[in-house]
Amino acid sequence: MVMAKSPDFEVQGTGSRYLDVDKINKSLDKVTDNGATYAEVRLVAYTDYSVSMRDGQLERAIPGQEIGATIRVLADGAWGVHSTTDIASLEQQMNPTLNLARSVAARRSSKDRAISLAEVPIIEDSIHWKPKKDVRNTELSERLEHMRLFNSVASGHDKIVSVNCGWHDEHIHTEFLSTEGMNRTWSFQRSLINGMVTARDGSDVVSYRTRFGGEGGLELIESCDVDELGDNAKVSALRLLKAKRAPSGKMPLIADRDLTGVYIHEALGHPCEADLVAAGDSCLDGKLGEKIGSDIVTVIDDPNIRGGYGAHPIDDEGLDTTEKCLIKNGILTEYLNHRETAEHFGIKPNAGARAQDGLHHPLVRMSNTIIHGGTHADLDELVEDIDYGVYACGSRGGQVDTGRGSFQFAAQEAWLIENGEITSPLKDVSVSGLTLEILKNVDGLTKDSRLAAPGFCGKGQTVPVGDGGPIMRISEALVG
Amino acid sequence: MILLPNDALGRLQSGCKTIGDRCNSLGISSWEIVASQSYGHQIDIEGGKISLAAGGGEGGYGIRIIEQGKFGYAYLADINSADKAITSALSIARMSPSIDGFVLPSEQQAEQVGGLYDRSIVEMDSESLLTQADLIISEVKSLDDRAVVTGGGIGVSASANAILTSQGIESGGLTTSHGVGVQVSIEENGQLTSSWQSSSSRSKLAEIPGCVARAVDWAQLTRDPIKVDSSEDESSVLMTSEGFSPLFSVVVPNAVKGEKLARSESFWSGKMNDSVVSSDLNLIDDATVEACRSSGARDGEGIPTRKNTLIESGKLLGSLWSTRDAAQQIAEGRIIDAASTGSAIRSGYQSPPISGCSNLFLTTDSKTHDFDSMLELMGDGYVVNSVMGAHTANPTSGDFSVTTSSILRVENGEIIGSVKQAGLSGNMAKALADKVILGDEVRPQGSYSSGTMYVPNVLLGQALRVNPV
Repeated sequence: MVMAKSPDFEVQGTGSRYLDVDKINKSLDKVTDNGATYAEVRLVAYTDYSVSMRDGQLERAIPGQEIGATIRVLADGAWGVHSTTDIASLEQQMNPTLNLARSVAARRSSKDRAISLAEVPIIEDSIHWKPKKDVRNTELSERLEHMRLFNSVASGHDKIVSVNCGWHDEHIHTEFLSTEGMNRTWSFQRSLINGMVTARDGSDVVSYRTRFGGEGGLELIESCDVDELGDNAKVSALRLLKAKRAPSGKMPLIADRDLTGVYIHEALGHPCEADLVAAGDSCLDGKLGEKIGSDIVTVIDDPNIRGGYGAHPIDDEGLDTTEKCLIKNGILTEYLNHRETAEHFGIKPNAGARAQDGLHHPLVRMSNTIIHGGTHADLDELVEDIDYGVYACGSRGGQVDTGRGSFQFAAQEAWLIENGEITSPLKDVSVSGLTLEILKNVDGLTKDSRLAAPGFCGKGQTVPVGDGGPIMRISEALVG
Repeated sequence: MILLPNDALGRLQSGCKTIGDRCNSLGISSWEIVASQSYGHQIDIEGGKISLAAGGGEGGYGIRIIEQGKFGYAYLADINSADKAITSALSIARMSPSIDGFVLPSEQQAEQVGGLYDRSIVEMDSESLLTQADLIISEVKSLDDRAVVTGGGIGVSASANAILTSQGIESGGLTTSHGVGVQVSIEENGQLTSSWQSSSSRSKLAEIPGCVARAVDWAQLTRDPIKVDSSEDESSVLMTSEGFSPLFSVVVPNAVKGEKLARSESFWSGKMNDSVVSSDLNLIDDATVEACRSSGARDGEGIPTRKNTLIESGKLLGSLWSTRDAAQQIAEGRIIDAASTGSAIRSGYQSPPISGCSNLFLTTDSKTHDFDSMLELMGDGYVVNSVMGAHTANPTSGDFSVTTSSILRVENGEIIGSVKQAGLSGNMAKALADKVILGDEVRPQGSYSSGTMYVPNVLLGQALRVNPV
């Protein structure tokens, strides 16, 4: 029966463990004796709380608890994986998982490379990023107070037909044990508030979404100017009602911080993931050390930017997280990797492994991805020498074909730029292009670079990410 | 070893009863317990080889408590923490607004729906999946020795699901699924083309499902792009089932939810009984069809499912409702009458039921056509087989602006070559209201839990803007 048998969440402090370390270590020793090259157990316990409100009324509030654990066994150069919510069954699943790995290995042809892992420091410790205000201690009424404020500011216009507000907070506790002697426990929290305002004028109906949040507890939401968040969403929704359809074709584009972040996440971040590079599914394969962007483009991915939605202290292979510099002054300097791909490429591991939760195995993922600032003072300076172009703001998400290196992202709202001035509002702007072309077209960045609104990234598994940068100008992009 | 233990459903139902009994003993008179357990095997393929084999399972319980028209919800993985979850759900209910007339549904007889469980899937082990993965990798190579399965995999799962309510609903069942997805790439002469295709079914798939050859076909078809006029153009577009379904699924299911229509949040709000799409089109949501991916005898709150005609001959005639949404919209005065249409869906035990679609069928009263006939009917235009950014479509307005690298140019009814990349934009409501011709082959797309689109190849008239590069 795959149901959790585990300690009560309420009594779970930072010092206590869900895994019986002695028993798990014994079973890890046994699987090594039976022929495993490497094995690990990673347990993740989530305590979360989701709330949704519509037009000022509580729609639903859902407190939850989830515990899952994944065993990974590497044997004969191949992986076997077992994931379960039945924590008590982990020891008995160790050998079947070893057998899975051997079954995969048995089918490997002589020309296929056996998987091996880059060496890493073996660490035994506990790291807990303690929030100033533990979000688990927040009463529902307090959550509702913030959400009602959003609602009251965002509503109150005859063309606003509904205001939705959402809240999600989570405490993530992870335990990691491996045959190499790694024994680590870490925890942190994330908090998020979001809203959607729908406006209607006759048969035209539009909506505008907004989000605020990141790594941290209640203090993060308390630092949010919910008034401003709600008012901006309302104003934007009403403006979209009057917006015209965007022009189409190649033209200069200025992207705000949100879109800059999505752009760099999709266009560069994903093709930099070494598991995709190794699988032959990245346009950046073989391009380390090559110039792929303009001189002003420097991009990092850093899980240690506290407060970023993609922040985490330790990666899901038990490595201390670290800043990765993906592009420096236009030159591709580093892939995001995990231990398998670091060994594959003969490079240093940089702790890029993340799993959605305890029931998924780690993949190479981004965390907080950001473009460094440039030299332009502000938006006006970027706009002033554009005769005809588009200024696009707010993200509705994006997607990339990493192999071809083509990407697309969509803006929530936009404006036409005419003769150096921002003029009429536009709607349904999307931007597409090719990574290896458009990075070279970045010709202006404002000085102030910082993370934008929190996001989620899908790659078979969904993980929270932060991304952002300065306001960015692209000399030529395909706007649709 | 079989995938699903023989006693899985019985133990799940027993767990529901234990939690229900605890609700009763705590003096709670109106409750609903749902439970699910899933077990599966999965093989991942990367870079032309099997990269890992995985297995496992997960499960849990959800508790919905109703008190004087107010509801609270909590979920749990460990049945020993049921009291805490019940208390939590009850305290949330007491803070929630009351909805006049909102009560849990009573038991109604439900007809069983066949074809949702295949014993042969349950008996599949990792070895049989590994064999299938090897066959697929070899098949791709045999179809084109340049082609490589750069990503994807195979998975099987078996699930037990149960619901027990204080109002007498007691039901449970088993479902299975088998899925294959392949990303096939061809890299030659510095040019890389690729195509993602997938198939899934409640019953066991063929060893080499049709999606494998389709992926190779599209990786081949999109090679050596031709130069086309790069100015934007309103054009006819033949969207394959794979290309159209993701856009359709973001926009249309949202527009036919009863509460969205009632709240003026749908582009079809205020148009009940009016013509909203081309006069020969029908839109039907039906969870009762045997062997369909999102079929089931009961919906997410235990009400028998049924066939819901949403659009008939172009006219909007129906919408999708769960019990709570219907009661709320009446209580808030937006509509006079509404009731559950057996359309409550859940994304697992972690969530309370909401209104949503099951198997959504787009059909036509007119003749359907094979692919070649559709090309002839189109004359000049484009074929689009996949789009990037379907999730960025605006479900409220129906507007979309996406990109495709899987697009072919058609002139005089013949494919003359591929286009490197193109922007594709339009409005779903307007596109469906224009001239629409449907193909005769349906390849279902989408998720089991949030609805499956049964949409054939679709030839759209002049409502789409194509901007080739």
